[in-house]
Amino acid sequence: MFSKAVSYDVLWDSAAYQAVDESQRWIVVAMQKYGHELVTMLWRILGNEQDVCDAYQTIFLRLAYLEDSRKPQWVKAYLFRTASNVAITVLRERQVEKKTLSAMTRMGEPQVAERDFDAGHLAESLRQHVAQLPEHLRNVIMLRDLGELSYSEVARILGVSAGTARVYRCKAVQLLAMWMNKEERQ
Amino acid sequence: MRLLRFGDKIDTCEGRSATSRCKRIGQRLADSARHRFGPEASWIQRHVAGCPRCQRRLAAMARVDLALSTIKTQPHRLDLLMRANSAAIRMLNHQLREAAHDRRLEEATPEPRLLEKCAAYRAAIVNVAACVAILFLTKAGIISSFDKARSGGQAVMKQYYTAQAGEDLAGEVFKS
Repeated sequence: MFSKAVSYDVLWDSAAYQAVDESQRWIVVAMQKYGHELVTMLWRILGNEQDVCDAYQTIFLRLAYLEDSRKPQWVKAYLFRTASNVAITVLRERQVEKKTLSAMTRMGEPQVAERDFDAGHLAESLRQHVAQLPEHLRNVIMLRDLGELSYSEVARILGVSAGTARVYRCKAVQLLAMWMNKEERQ
Repeated sequence: MRLLRFGDKIDTCEGRSATSRCKRIGQRLADSARHRFGPEASWIQRHVAGCPRCQRRLAAMARVDLALSTIKTQPHRLDLLMRANSAAIRMLNHQLREAAHDRRLEEATPEPRLLEKCAAYRAAIVNVAACVAILFLTKAGIISSFDKARSGGQAVMKQYYTAQAGEDLAGEVFKS
């Protein structure tokens, strides 16, 4: 699986490099370096391939259109923060659509609630609750658990200490547990 | 723990080897703390066994952990990264190509044409033009020519009726 992914990267590499303007080559380099981690994180947050591609495009367009086309000091931090923000926007939009749809179906036929264990439902429920977390807690959960960055990297990206990042994660998990428990009881 | 005697060396975190040793110790401390105070510690297990509140709390936490691992294990298609990359590059190139044109458009000050400038006064201009046209037609005698043509036409028609239907009927039709 890994070798196949690597060969895809190689195929993409030369064509992409030639296509891009010389002044923007550093963006392609960033794409090569952090693309895999970003796609993995976006996939875990969004769970939809089309949304992942859209969010990925938005992230790199934002990077290309930074003020005066300047390269940020720490590209990785910029990319992961932007990815987290873009993903949460997509997730919230999706929630609004879902609410509207469910309101429409409620007007029609009554639905029978499924109580069995459903991995897809569990994952979607967690995504919904993550989107409702306060920003500082949400960022830690996204970067640490879904982006699989180390606490020190998370702390550096968010501009807090590693200890604070750990505390935030703990609080986030407690809140998520409470909300998911409440939802299950309903 | 051994107490330091006079003349003993104190370990500091200076140098690369000392730093790695410091890291190792930090890791051991964290492991030890997890073992003694984490959820798998025996005293916690004993408490949880008899406390329904803690059982609920731990179950809820486990549910979050389960959801997180479910999300992490959900697979995506192998070519997702490649598709995302090529889409992003395509969009990037397109945006860069259009950027100069967009900037020119942004900077260009809109200059309305003469017709567009006069659009607000269109009704007034049309009224004035109509008045001028009527005046001109009157002055040139075209309106009186129309009258003459009408009376001439009437005379011709009366003549025709007189010839075809008789003078009485024509006189009745063209009473004036």
